[in-house]
Amino acid sequence: MSHSFITIPSSIHIYQGVETDYLNSVEIADYLQAIIKQAVVDIRPDIHCFYSASYDNKEKGAILDATAFEMAKIKIRDINKKNCLPEPMQAEIDYEKRNLLKSTAKTFGIIYEGFSLQQLYLNLIDEGEKDIKHLHLVFTNQLFATWDPGNIRYHARVSIYGFPSIISTSGIVVAPAKPRDFYLKRQLGQDPNLLKEEYKGSFIDYGDPRMTDVLKGYVAQALFYHLVGYPFCEDKNCRLFNAHRQNELLQAQLFSNYEFCPKHKAVLEQLKDN
Amino acid sequence: MEKKVVFSKVSEKDVTRAIVSEFTQQFSEYVESDVIIVGGGPSGLMAGRELAGKGLKVLIIERNNYLGGGFWIGGYLMNKITVRAPAQEILSELQIPYKEFMEGLYVADGPHACSKLIAAACDAGIKIANMTIFEDLVLREENRVAGVVVNWTPVGALPREITCVDPVALETKIVIDSTGHDACVVRKLEERGLIKTAGYGAMWVEQSEDLVVEHTSEAHPGLIVIGMAVSTTFALPRMGPTFGAMLLSGKRGAEIALEKLK
Repeated sequence: MSHSFITIPSSIHIYQGVETDYLNSVEIADYLQAIIKQAVVDIRPDIHCFYSASYDNKEKGAILDATAFEMAKIKIRDINKKNCLPEPMQAEIDYEKRNLLKSTAKTFGIIYEGFSLQQLYLNLIDEGEKDIKHLHLVFTNQLFATWDPGNIRYHARVSIYGFPSIISTSGIVVAPAKPRDFYLKRQLGQDPNLLKEEYKGSFIDYGDPRMTDVLKGYVAQALFYHLVGYPFCEDKNCRLFNAHRQNELLQAQLFSNYEFCPKHKAVLEQLKDN
Repeated sequence: MEKKVVFSKVSEKDVTRAIVSEFTQQFSEYVESDVIIVGGGPSGLMAGRELAGKGLKVLIIERNNYLGGGFWIGGYLMNKITVRAPAQEILSELQIPYKEFMEGLYVADGPHACSKLIAAACDAGIKIANMTIFEDLVLREENRVAGVVVNWTPVGALPREITCVDPVALETKIVIDSTGHDACVVRKLEERGLIKTAGYGAMWVEQSEDLVVEHTSEAHPGLIVIGMAVSTTFALPRMGPTFGAMLLSGKRGAEIALEKLK
């Protein structure tokens, strides 16, 4: 497979909005650098902290207020109602402010509307870096979801690719379905902590040492989206497979005998010639 | 030979007089208080204990005859309650025996934990109006919450033509809503168009306990929301039968009230 149009970024920016216990961004950066030698890969702090750092205190305060308000506004209140995003209460805005001021160890659990969150991050990015020469990869531990018109409800997502691409470490745990029996037993009232012990290994958990390895596949998907406009592959053993279940995720990212299927491997080979 | 126990001679009228006079005296005294907590579950009791311990005049309104809410039992009607670290520190503070079940997860006997918490709140000086149901709010200038309107719980269970009993109003500086998922006090404000809640949050998400504590706040001037009422008010995700957030949210709510009353 040969692509006539490949958009190769000259810079890849990784925003480390997640505790280092959860994600080794140096390893992620090295992984990307090995794939795409033409680009300069850098690691930055959390996206809000990074872009507001250059402003004076007054402007920083204004950015914080505006971002906190928007974050509170895009909280999904009912997964069965599309665009149910009413005006937030002050306590919700205050919570977002406190959360934004933490560079990595943010409290999580709230689910945000995914495309609105992506737009919010885009608004933070400096104008000089808003072009296709730059690939922005935002790592967050916040959860986001997108509306599924087929199921008429929101679904939690691991990632949304675009400008910027956003990847959630909590999404890795929550979004792909765990084994069916896990949910059945939980509905019967079994302690989630005991269930986790019982099903240990069969899904990615918070603080899982395999998280960084798994995320390599997701940054590869983000890269492919930037390169050729489509992030996924139908091959269940390719890192670009769009896993909906934890067992699929583990197979594609950890257990497969190869990283990329032949056709996507060819695209990466083509990169070397550019 | 064992000495026979002889109770002192007291007539029925004396017993009645003791109940009526003591109740009336207390009720009259608490027609005006520093803080009224609506709901005597774990978060309300915890908040009450903290506030009364600081010398404030605190009244807990409880619709049931008993206090403690769901703190007597854990999940699936099993009477073991669990808390995640750091909430075990509160168990220690209340001298509730517990054991570490696994790293970061602690388990205690529900009845023991609940009765200790009730006792701690009573010892600190709270007063309780049980079998008393919250009906409405007293609002003052700029719709600031300044009290509650209450009635006897059984009144609501009888046909209106039999029990056309008007409620009474109690005044206070701060009202705390600890009515659990119902968020009765917040809902009353919503009925008046003064606040907009979203009900239950998006979905079941682990570690949403942190969010309950983080969102414990003054939701409207004069009204602080604690415990599971926080979840309903701010549309936070559902959570399982873990009580750490209830205790810590109660403590946080008390801190906010103290700050407001300075």
